[in-house]
Amino acid sequence: MFYDQCSDTSKPPLDREALRDVIDLALWAGQLLLQYGAESERIEQTIHRLGTGLGCDWMDILVSPNVIAVTTISGAEFRTKIRRVIGLNVNLTIISAINRLSRRVEDGELDRFGVRKELDRISKIKSHYNRWLVVAMVGLACASFSRLFGGDAAVFVVTFIASAVAMVVRQELSRRYFNQFLVVIVTAFAAGVLASAADLLNLSGQPETALAASVLLLVPGVPLINAAEDLITGHMVTAVVRGIVGGIISLSIALGLLLAISLMGVRGL
Amino acid sequence: MNTALLLTVLEDGLWSALAAAGFAMLFNVPVRTLPGCAILGAVGHAARTLLMQMGMSVEAGTLAGATLVGFLGLVFARRWRTPATVYTLSGAIPMVPGSLAFRTMIGLLRLAEAAPEAAAPMLADVSVSAIKTGLILGAIAVGITAPSLLIVRQRPLAR
Repeated sequence: MFYDQCSDTSKPPLDREALRDVIDLALWAGQLLLQYGAESERIEQTIHRLGTGLGCDWMDILVSPNVIAVTTISGAEFRTKIRRVIGLNVNLTIISAINRLSRRVEDGELDRFGVRKELDRISKIKSHYNRWLVVAMVGLACASFSRLFGGDAAVFVVTFIASAVAMVVRQELSRRYFNQFLVVIVTAFAAGVLASAADLLNLSGQPETALAASVLLLVPGVPLINAAEDLITGHMVTAVVRGIVGGIISLSIALGLLLAISLMGVRGL
Repeated sequence: MNTALLLTVLEDGLWSALAAAGFAMLFNVPVRTLPGCAILGAVGHAARTLLMQMGMSVEAGTLAGATLVGFLGLVFARRWRTPATVYTLSGAIPMVPGSLAFRTMIGLLRLAEAAPEAAAPMLADVSVSAIKTGLILGAIAVGITAPSLLIVRQRPLAR
């Protein structure tokens, strides 16, 4: 299969007002994609599909780590605008919804006004999962990792409790807009202190497994995978920045964990 | 195939499925895609474990597991009309070398206060885990983008 998104010169030219509207919608969609964890290639293609679907001949898109710039072109007319974007948590429902929206525009199902309504709805999507359900499942996920690392039943229980409590700490700190790296350090510290119980109370023969598994909820999996994907697809600037962010988050986990280990006086990793 | 190996792989798949499902909920995937995310998490990691048991390195095993996740993600994406990222990102999570990544950083921090004669072997350890982290991450990315590198190619967006 080979998709050709070539410009279609038979389109009727759009006026300046229409171009302004398209650029606004394209940037809105792009902002949602970038801030909720899409990789750069997807952002470019989705914005391009959306803009050309709304009648532009061509879109030029620059995806930077925290800025998106778009130029819309129709006939001899063009307009350019940039938008500042800040990274938030990962939200795959929003990414999925924007992708579907761009397909519908491409198929001619939606016009500019329909797209605006849809984007408004998508940007208000809240989490499907109850906060406490997420806490329990994240705890279970980290406890499952402890089994994959070869931990026993006691390690499983300790990891579950430590990472579930750490998840609550993370949610509470994030809600109060603390610096993201500070949130990671404090959360890793909390997880480490609780996971030290495996060693201090002599619950298990492999207490270091509980320490390693209980902080896994903080692992920057999406930034690191996206960094490698951007590298492969040739988006070097975003790749480097995402990689460094992933590295600093890993460093923050290490700091929090080391602090907990030395404070509790337990056997390290 | 001997039963002990089969049991190991099945148990591995079970825990990986739970891990993938937990992170999928953290990433707020659409509810209807949750089973698919868990299945991909199980398949990818269990395939890697099987290959490693058969003597493959962790990097090569990850590449194989992630490629499986990439192609199955494409199948699921077509079947349930959702972008493949939803499945592949959640499915890759159990294979992410998270523990290696922060172990590298812990090693770096400890290096700062190490005695000179102890520093050399520590530096070697840190380097090995850093290289492994990078290689495994690269393998995951190549694996899950394999479909778009090989099959669903797109014309570059420049004219």
